[in-house]
Amino acid sequence: MNKIIILFAAIVTLGFMAFTNHSGGVYKTNTGNINFFSHTAVEDIAADNHKVKTAFDAKTGKLQFSVLIKDFEFPKALMQEHFNENYMESTTYPKSTFTGTIDKMSAVNLAKDGTYKSTISGKLTMKDVTKDVSTIATFVVKGGVVNAKASFTINPTDYHIAIPKTVAPKISNEIKISVDADYTHDTK
Amino acid sequence: MTRPLIILLVVFAIGAVFFGYNAYNKPHTNVAQSQASETLLASEIFVAFDTNEQAAMAIFSDRVIQLEGELLSKDLSNEKEPQILLKGNGEEGFVRCGFKPTELTKVLALTDSSTVKIKGICMGFNGSEELDLLDSKDVVLSNCIIIN
Repeated sequence: MNKIIILFAAIVTLGFMAFTNHSGGVYKTNTGNINFFSHTAVEDIAADNHKVKTAFDAKTGKLQFSVLIKDFEFPKALMQEHFNENYMESTTYPKSTFTGTIDKMSAVNLAKDGTYKSTISGKLTMKDVTKDVSTIATFVVKGGVVNAKASFTINPTDYHIAIPKTVAPKISNEIKISVDADYTHDTK
Repeated sequence: MTRPLIILLVVFAIGAVFFGYNAYNKPHTNVAQSQASETLLASEIFVAFDTNEQAAMAIFSDRVIQLEGELLSKDLSNEKEPQILLKGNGEEGFVRCGFKPTELTKVLALTDSSTVKIKGICMGFNGSEELDLLDSKDVVLSNCIIIN
């Protein structure tokens, strides 16, 4: 009888842990933020996208992003037009994607509120050009929500983004990309 | 240099500055005051993108589109852009509509499962079959307004 009670208790405990401890599974959001910022002596240029689709696998650390280029909003309509039509050719290349890994996934305890850091490395694709990217991300786990923040810089020419000489002084060779996303456990 | 020529050059210079200033500061598309270039069901635009993304981009992207569809849910997880999901195609296909924060009150007043009419600028189709973790696909509209 005691064995049955112990077995029953173990099953209930394991079941409860599986339900409450989201240490596995996929975390995702469709409302992540990406900001890019270009600073030159002539002009600062920034744009935001608030519908970034991203997810990570809490077991393997696999991390993916998909972002619509046209959905970056600039303060000025003319900047947005030039960005889409002249530089990013966003009708031809509508998306940018990132596939990579959270390198120290095991160090990020999703079951315990706290702040954790890990390098992220992977491949960023824009305009059909894929380049390696690596940066350090900060993960803040709070009440089941995982906020991730990271930033890195890219050079537009690496992605075949041609900047005309007439506007080159206004656009930096180092564009800062900042990511800020609140992931929740995907219960599907 | 003759006086009329100087006056002509000054007028031309003022005109050029005025034109340049207006072009540089031209406003974003005002969705509320724009005529929709296409009016269709949310499920129809989803099928169009899911069938042939490139062709759908040519028809819909950057255009003001009016859609009618079933409200699946409100997604208020990003305070910078309240969003709603309209039924696109089953459980893996949606139309995602983003609103300015000033529209939040109207978004909150919407009832799940009701039929809503919105107008917004079509941005494209997010999601990819190559990205296994991002299994759902969204037709994305921005700067939306609620019509009904």
